[in-house]
Amino acid sequence: MSELRHVGRDTPRPDAAAKASGKAHYIHDLSRPGMLFGKIKFSEHAHARILHVDTSRAERLPGVRAVITAANTPQVRFGYLRDNFALKKDKVRHFRDEVAAVAAMDPDAAAEAVELIRVEYEPLPAVFDPYAAMMEGAPLVHETDPEGRPRETNEVPVAFHHVSGDIDAGRRAAKHVAEGRFSTPRIQQSCMGTAGCIAEFGGDGNLTIWAKTQIPFLAQRDFNRALAAMGLDGRNARVIVPCLGGAFGSGLDTHAYEYVAILLAHRTGRPVKIVYTRHEEFANLSPRQSAQVYVSQGCDEAGRLTFRHVEVFQDNGAYTSWGATYPGVMLLPATSLYKVPSIVFDARMVYTNNTYCQAMRGYGNPEMTWPLESNLDELAEAAGIDPFEMRLINCNEPGETTPMGARVTTCGLRDCLVAAAGKLDWASKRGRGRKMRRGVGMASLVHVGGSGRIYRSDASGIILRLDDFGNVYVSSGGVEMGQGLHSALTLGVAESLGVLPANVFINETDTATCPWDVGTHASRGAFTACNAAILAAAKLRNRIFTLAEEIFPAEIERNLAAYRSERPGYQPPRFDWRLEAKRDRFDLRDGMIFLKDAPDEPWARLELERLLRAIHFRPAGEMLTAEAFYDPPSDLPDWGRGRGNMSAAYAYGTQGVEVEVDVETGEVQILRMVSAHDVGRVLNPQTIRGQAYGAIAQGIGYALYEEVRTEEGRILNPNFTDYKIPTAWEMGFPIDLVFIETNDPAGPFGAKGVGEPGLVPTAPAIANAIYDAVGVRVRDLPITPEKLLAALADEER
Amino acid sequence: MKTEVSFTLNAGVVVAELAGHELLIDLLRDRFGLTGTKEGCGQGECGACTVLVDGRAVNSCIYPALEVEGRQVVTIEGLLGPGNDLAAIQRAFVEHGGIQCGFCSPGMILSARALLDRIADPSEEQIREALVGNLCRCTGYVQIVESVRKAAEAMRSGGSGGGGA
Amino acid sequence: MTEPGGTQRPPAPAGCGEKGDPRLAPRYDYHRPRTLDEAWSLRSSVEGSRYVCGGTDLIVRMRSGRESPRALISLRSLPELTGISMGEATEIGAATTFTDLLEHPALCARYPVLAQAARRIGCPQIRNVATIGGNLCNAIPCADSATALIVLDATLRARSPRRKRDIPVAEFFLGPRQTCLRAEEVLTSILLRPPAPTGAGIFLKATRVYRDLALASVAVFLEIGPDGRSCRKARVAAGSVSPVPLRLRSVESLFESEGISPETVSRAKGMAREAIVPISDVRASADYRRHLTGVLLGRAVETLANRERA
Repeated sequence: MSELRHVGRDTPRPDAAAKASGKAHYIHDLSRPGMLFGKIKFSEHAHARILHVDTSRAERLPGVRAVITAANTPQVRFGYLRDNFALKKDKVRHFRDEVAAVAAMDPDAAAEAVELIRVEYEPLPAVFDPYAAMMEGAPLVHETDPEGRPRETNEVPVAFHHVSGDIDAGRRAAKHVAEGRFSTPRIQQSCMGTAGCIAEFGGDGNLTIWAKTQIPFLAQRDFNRALAAMGLDGRNARVIVPCLGGAFGSGLDTHAYEYVAILLAHRTGRPVKIVYTRHEEFANLSPRQSAQVYVSQGCDEAGRLTFRHVEVFQDNGAYTSWGATYPGVMLLPATSLYKVPSIVFDARMVYTNNTYCQAMRGYGNPEMTWPLESNLDELAEAAGIDPFEMRLINCNEPGETTPMGARVTTCGLRDCLVAAAGKLDWASKRGRGRKMRRGVGMASLVHVGGSGRIYRSDASGIILRLDDFGNVYVSSGGVEMGQGLHSALTLGVAESLGVLPANVFINETDTATCPWDVGTHASRGAFTACNAAILAAAKLRNRIFTLAEEIFPAEIERNLAAYRSERPGYQPPRFDWRLEAKRDRFDLRDGMIFLKDAPDEPWARLELERLLRAIHFRPAGEMLTAEAFYDPPSDLPDWGRGRGNMSAAYAYGTQGVEVEVDVETGEVQILRMVSAHDVGRVLNPQTIRGQAYGAIAQGIGYALYEEVRTEEGRILNPNFTDYKIPTAWEMGFPIDLVFIETNDPAGPFGAKGVGEPGLVPTAPAIANAIYDAVGVRVRDLPITPEKLLAALADEER
Repeated sequence: MKTEVSFTLNAGVVVAELAGHELLIDLLRDRFGLTGTKEGCGQGECGACTVLVDGRAVNSCIYPALEVEGRQVVTIEGLLGPGNDLAAIQRAFVEHGGIQCGFCSPGMILSARALLDRIADPSEEQIREALVGNLCRCTGYVQIVESVRKAAEAMRSGGSGGGGA
Repeated sequence: MTEPGGTQRPPAPAGCGEKGDPRLAPRYDYHRPRTLDEAWSLRSSVEGSRYVCGGTDLIVRMRSGRESPRALISLRSLPELTGISMGEATEIGAATTFTDLLEHPALCARYPVLAQAARRIGCPQIRNVATIGGNLCNAIPCADSATALIVLDATLRARSPRRKRDIPVAEFFLGPRQTCLRAEEVLTSILLRPPAPTGAGIFLKATRVYRDLALASVAVFLEIGPDGRSCRKARVAAGSVSPVPLRLRSVESLFESEGISPETVSRAKGMAREAIVPISDVRASADYRRHLTGVLLGRAVETLANRERA
């Protein structure tokens, strides 16, 4: 591969200076003329009939412009299973339910008005334990399905299954077996910028909504459906994505508050802004899906896995969002992490009166890798094999197709394992630290590295437009949420087109001006957008070089004349420029057009911008624009059979950690960590490091500190006082990052997605290290000091 | 009951009429349009709202606005020099990957600046302790700490750059 | 409801620093008296008023509707409450911020246990505004400065228009958020005795992450004799594990009468666990708090004893 000029270089992000200056504008900072402030009244019960909503006092409060309920607005259904409503009419199914909303001229009036709304409820028996919800006689959370047919159970009709090989044969062939039940909690995405939107109807009756979304186009589709439900058929929604204060999956669905803002905007005829307070964010925004997983794995005498049996059970909460589809992603590690000849995978989920859950970074992978990689260490111990050896024995290889049908192209897992073991000093530390209560542990991951197909199109479109000054404007449907998409795109466009990064401008993501993109999730942003950029850039280069055949010779003749006038006696080298100026002989680099294999004279180069102006201002002039629509080579899986090559490439990795346990307090101190990732190619060292370090911080929170605590459906820790995320202090241990560049053929410049992998194996790596240190294992995250002490006490007995 | 207060805001003296319950963050964002200061929690827990009052980092979301009378308040906008020149601390964050989504950045940068104005060559432990009140969900803090170290180096050799403070 | 792991959690009672939703922005007047006389006068004339200093806890509680005074009277800039004077005894103005305290080298050198506690309060943004007087008057059971001051035998000076009285710090707290201050009284300063040259103190705090309210905290001050075991004076206090920051007199008596040894430390831990009344809340269970108190006490005493022997 020829040397890259921009990709791979440590480059500051193009959006960093604005953010450092306080000039980046987030939803919180935006204002529209005539804007009103919206506020939602949430349910005061986990499960109750709504008997009456009295809004009269709220309506009379000065400054209030509208008070809406399900009674005075058209019904707007939404959600993956269409089981949710913008405003609840007959009953509330959890504390988060939106019962009424207010639009007022200032936030204080809106808040006061919400307090003045009186709702009369008839409480109903509620169910919070998902196992209880599965039983006959449990209160029904939804009495009917979205089509109005009566329901008999709380079970959610979503099917994820996989069977491959022969599990009975696999069990028989197993010399050693380990099994266990594991659980993961609900986690709050905890974006520093809370959720919010501004909805505004234009004079033409169409909707514009500035939204904190990762799916502008799927949101447009959802909002158009809502407009139709509101009797506004044919009206169109325009979704604009401003600077986001983080997302981590919380923008992958549309939310009730967005529909409420739209209803309020329509009712008042004015823009309406709804922004969640931190408390509302904790209490009313869907968190990461929790899971209870049973896993059983067996291996032969040599340590080769012979079977894997996984059963997943999820508390779906009161409505359905992407949490219900985590098992789809769980299929990937379940079938493709290590070589396993026989697999049974099943997932079930049930409605309860708890909060419902949405996407969060990793999207089921951390939930599945937690049990798998914890259990693998237990199996290794049963078999008397070192856990690092065990992983090498079962390691995935490039070129294999996994039982799910994942076609693994590049695979750097072996290198990642070796790197992790090396950096950790595994050989000298494993099994030797008990006296000091120190231990080392590792865990691996597989994730989608070439997007993840979950919709009928997994495409990303791009438009590149050149102006008169050699600048290129990039319209991409992808969303920058702090992960560095704009940086990747800037470098990718600069590299593939042949201009300087300073001449690349990324336009705001806007469904009116950008081409379709399914959404920025599955670590797909740079992978898809840069691949689209490469295709579009190639078209532009083709056109530029075709035009250069005409323009280049005359322009450099002009250059030469000017050059000669300053250097009397200068003799140019003999070269027939007109003859040699052929399309396939040109190159464009850093905004300069030149002929390859021609004499390298300073006058023999043409600035791109001169060519652009020349073709613009001549008769029948033209401006250059190119577009591309990149859809990765992958398949939409058959979820019911758990089969399909859902990604164009797969990202593997291994994390290792050394811990020291305080056996009196149960606290776990992380002494050092190594995170080795097969990334295909590093696009920008500082952005990939940021993703890796940030993921580790979230992984540590997942492993040790974080949990949305609820009791009878009510959140107990809706604030940062009691929902503890790592601070700079907790991250004060040495971290080795290792990036293995396997140069994937499907990836832009060989790169694979890297946003999510970093937090997938952290929790099991820590648990495995704790086991090495003190010989006990906690199977329910987070591994709090209390749980660890209890496990140590049990062990002593 | 409204009271008029006069204080120094970034480059110059300003005057504002305030009710007793008003908080510094709202005064800065809504009254003076300085939206660089962010509200992350409204409870003094996340530090996104950090500004400098007399050179010290405070959570503006719980700081009574009336208390700025006679004091010097510096927001993220106040670090910039003429012609949009980034201060050394801002430049370091930009160059060394200290910024991702950017929501925590104004508060983080100001906390870092308050540290470096006091301790020119802080240890890693001192940096982490100084930033413990600024939550970040994106970066994992590693490149933030590195940015602060690099800013300290730059400031020791060439001054702090920028203007307002 | 049973949490994963099987531990039953009772409903959370109002605990230390618990915050609700900042919903309705409360409306209140905010007075900035320039003298203590003015402050007293406002306090008695303005109905529904309350003193505030740094306000880092009170303002949060007011924003979430947990407290709703009609007016606040700021003591922040009162000259009578500012300043640190170090003569034989030490007097710390109640309006001294924790940062001011930590940036006073002589004070920190003289009373390291207080400096250790101050350093673990919140974060820089909080310490730059929160005051030692406010921390005491807020009277939450986990108040970090309180345990340190208890083991230093601090006296709190309270003044009203007619009277001045000095209150031993251990008697100051009556219950969560309740002090023995009368309505018009202002805590003006904290008085510390000259330090015993042979004494040393330590403050330990157990938290979930580093920046956190204490799950349990322990302050210990010991005057250990040259033999490394006899103990002329012992002061022990535990925070966040009882309705008030608690002086553990039984533990003190044990050390003073029988000295410091692994055996007395072990018994002391048991006594401490018996003496405290921790609650279970979303942060920790009562059992864990009880356990932590014993662990922290043991570590505190061992550290001091080892220092002495060294």
